[in-house]
Amino acid sequence: MMVETVKSNYISYVLFFIALLCTLIAACDSSDLTDPAKMEVSDKKFSGGETTVFDATSHAFSTPAPNLSADGLAKHLEGDVEFEAVFVTVPAEVNPGLGPVYNNISCINCHARDGRGRAPTSGEKLTSMLFRVSLPNPNGDGTQGPVPVPGFGTQLNNRAIFGVPPEGTVTINYTEGEFMTSDGVKVHLRTPSYKIENAYQPLPDDVEISPRVAPVVFGLGLLEAVPEATILALADEDDQDGDGISGKPNYVWDVQKNGLSLGRFGWKANQPTLIQQVASAYHDDMGITTSLLPRESSDGQPQYDGRGDDPELSDEILDVVTFYVQTLAVPARRGLDDPIVQHGEELFESAGCSGCHIPTLETGTLSDVPEVSNQTIHPYTDLLLHDMGPGLADNRPDFLASGSEWRTPPLWGIGLVKVVNGHTNFLHDGRARGLLEAVLWHGGEAEQSRDAVQGMSASDRNALIAFLESL
Amino acid sequence: MRFNQYLTKLFCRTLSALLVLSIGLIGCSLTGCGSDDDDVTTAAEESVFDASTTLNDFANKVVLATYTDLDNKAGELLGAVQALNAAPNQAHLELAQAAWKAARTPWEQSEAFLFGPVDTQGLDPALDSWPVNRVDLDGVLNSGQGLTEASIDALEDTLKGFHTIEYLLFRDGDQRKAEDITPRELEYLTATTENLKAKTAQLRRAWEASGENYAGEVANAGDTSTIYQSQKDAMQEMVNGMIVIADEVANGKISDPFNESDTTLVESQFSFNSISDFQDNIRGIQNVYMGKFMADGQGLNEFVNGVDPNLDARFQTEVQTAIDTIGAIPDPFRDSITAQRAAVQAAIDAVSTVQQTLENDILKLVLDSNFE
Repeated sequence: MMVETVKSNYISYVLFFIALLCTLIAACDSSDLTDPAKMEVSDKKFSGGETTVFDATSHAFSTPAPNLSADGLAKHLEGDVEFEAVFVTVPAEVNPGLGPVYNNISCINCHARDGRGRAPTSGEKLTSMLFRVSLPNPNGDGTQGPVPVPGFGTQLNNRAIFGVPPEGTVTINYTEGEFMTSDGVKVHLRTPSYKIENAYQPLPDDVEISPRVAPVVFGLGLLEAVPEATILALADEDDQDGDGISGKPNYVWDVQKNGLSLGRFGWKANQPTLIQQVASAYHDDMGITTSLLPRESSDGQPQYDGRGDDPELSDEILDVVTFYVQTLAVPARRGLDDPIVQHGEELFESAGCSGCHIPTLETGTLSDVPEVSNQTIHPYTDLLLHDMGPGLADNRPDFLASGSEWRTPPLWGIGLVKVVNGHTNFLHDGRARGLLEAVLWHGGEAEQSRDAVQGMSASDRNALIAFLESL
Repeated sequence: MRFNQYLTKLFCRTLSALLVLSIGLIGCSLTGCGSDDDDVTTAAEESVFDASTTLNDFANKVVLATYTDLDNKAGELLGAVQALNAAPNQAHLELAQAAWKAARTPWEQSEAFLFGPVDTQGLDPALDSWPVNRVDLDGVLNSGQGLTEASIDALEDTLKGFHTIEYLLFRDGDQRKAEDITPRELEYLTATTENLKAKTAQLRRAWEASGENYAGEVANAGDTSTIYQSQKDAMQEMVNGMIVIADEVANGKISDPFNESDTTLVESQFSFNSISDFQDNIRGIQNVYMGKFMADGQGLNEFVNGVDPNLDARFQTEVQTAIDTIGAIPDPFRDSITAQRAAVQAAIDAVSTVQQTLENDILKLVLDSNFE
């Protein structure tokens, strides 16, 4: 009896306390709600919506989305192991199937810490960059994709298993140039040139070469979940609104659909889905076949092993690796309270950068991946193709992307590339050695924005860079 | 809906919400849950910890000291391999095997801080890729290809580093006979050990003040560092490093071969060195936490102890328990995954406990704290 009395007194005490608490919570809530600036700031931090992680360390790109369920996390971690799996020559007990020709031996070797690759420094091996090749297609309408080079396909495999000739190597040379801002600051820009050497058989003179560094792989599920209608609504192929910016969707071959689909991934948006992106990376980069792409990349070439052991990778592994890249967390923004960062953000808008690097998108539904569905995200991309001018052109069309068109790359996490990957090399070929160089390389549809940056005061330019570094 | 129905519904909802809340609160008060956490969080938020010494000691007395030891031990391994190459007898083979295991110790301990140059300069894969590409290794050995440090460097990472050396020195357990090692294997062994030594020297230089001084990037976080904008970021890096290796040991290195009962998945399987490898991984956590390698420094423990002495004491015990529990697995590990299931499971549990405390308590403490 005694105990019960104590308990009932306790309950009334607790109820009173709850009432007090409710009043306090309500007061707190309303003060936050009446301060729109505060709300907006807290929203902007969450670059990846509920998949956002607060981590500015070397793990910023390689953390599982915090909103994964226990089952989802387990699947993600299985994918993580496979993403790190190192492949070797068949036969082997562990991870056979490498090559015969390839660019690298694991996913993680190119996408170190799920991050950004770079061009090799002088004397260094080519590790996180590769070269696509093709023949001119003067009469094609682009829907057939790049024309393979006989004996090489559409990608130069510069490495091979023992006893098999690699397809060739590439030497890179840079020509240094200068760019002058209107207030007289010199910025050094380097222009790369590429030469294929040691080709195992003669290459046609008119071969087209496109350099590609490994892009970051986090946040991709969110981009896959952006509704097609959202992307198409941003498109303005003939620039009907007259802002100098077109925005063109790429339509590329979709293996599963056996038809054309909107391209979303890759430097030229030449992959329609993440599962196909992953399968292509296994196939083209590591020489590993899957049920999506069961024919060896070297089939028809002298390097082909003719083993008939395809597909070399199980559907289960393909599935967990796809899920892994779909559910990597996006790092949160930093420094939002810094007035310089805030000013930089205004300049990003006023210079027109946000015309293509769209700050905010809403995701729709991605089946079986609720974590990335219905999120408000800040990727800074429209996933569309834009003409970036002759300076950045690779002159190698890829489906509907012309030789000077590139997909707007997402900018989220760009300020953390240094802590994660130890460098600040940007653009599709890593030619820019810092963010300002990358901005100043923008031409074509981005020329007006580039000119605006050129004309900024030094403090404004620094603010713009500070903003980019906060992403 | 009519208005009185609405009122009734609202009343019921409010009442049930209050009931749920009060039951929760009573439950908490009876079990005492929550109160400790709240105190700790408040203490962490109020104090401002100057992490300069912790970060400086971590960078220099733990990371650089470990890499220096690794480079020295790699030098000793190279000397032993050169002696074996000059006179391939059993005594020299055993000395080289011992030198391999000795060099393995600082490497495995360094896996508690696998960030920075070891990663961005591609040194981790060059030193520690697994599996060995045995088909290609046989191909190279059976060819007339020149075997120099430079020619090895040009090969894939799966044809060099610790495990390739291990395969050549041990083959299968420690039963390798010196007379079974071919001249070509000796030549390969020497060249690939030279390559390993070059990589450990590169790693050491990357952290040294007289080299690329990555130690300075960590020590001066939030100040002159171009990598870490705040001390909190660098402290988080320290904790993340420990979490990653605890996770890998518990859920990868021990669990993968154990769950699959598959000896081909065992790390350091040629040398039967797996248990030492796992223990050294956890000793790496101990080194980071206590701020010591050979010399004592200020570790994370002083920060944790200042906020929550009980957590500090608990974690130190958990780490030591994990090391001891792994040590209690009978050698060789690859037999124990099937024959000693309980001992292996106990080790997995002990390391998981370390991982959980790092994730749930210590990382939280760092994230809730204010640093200089």
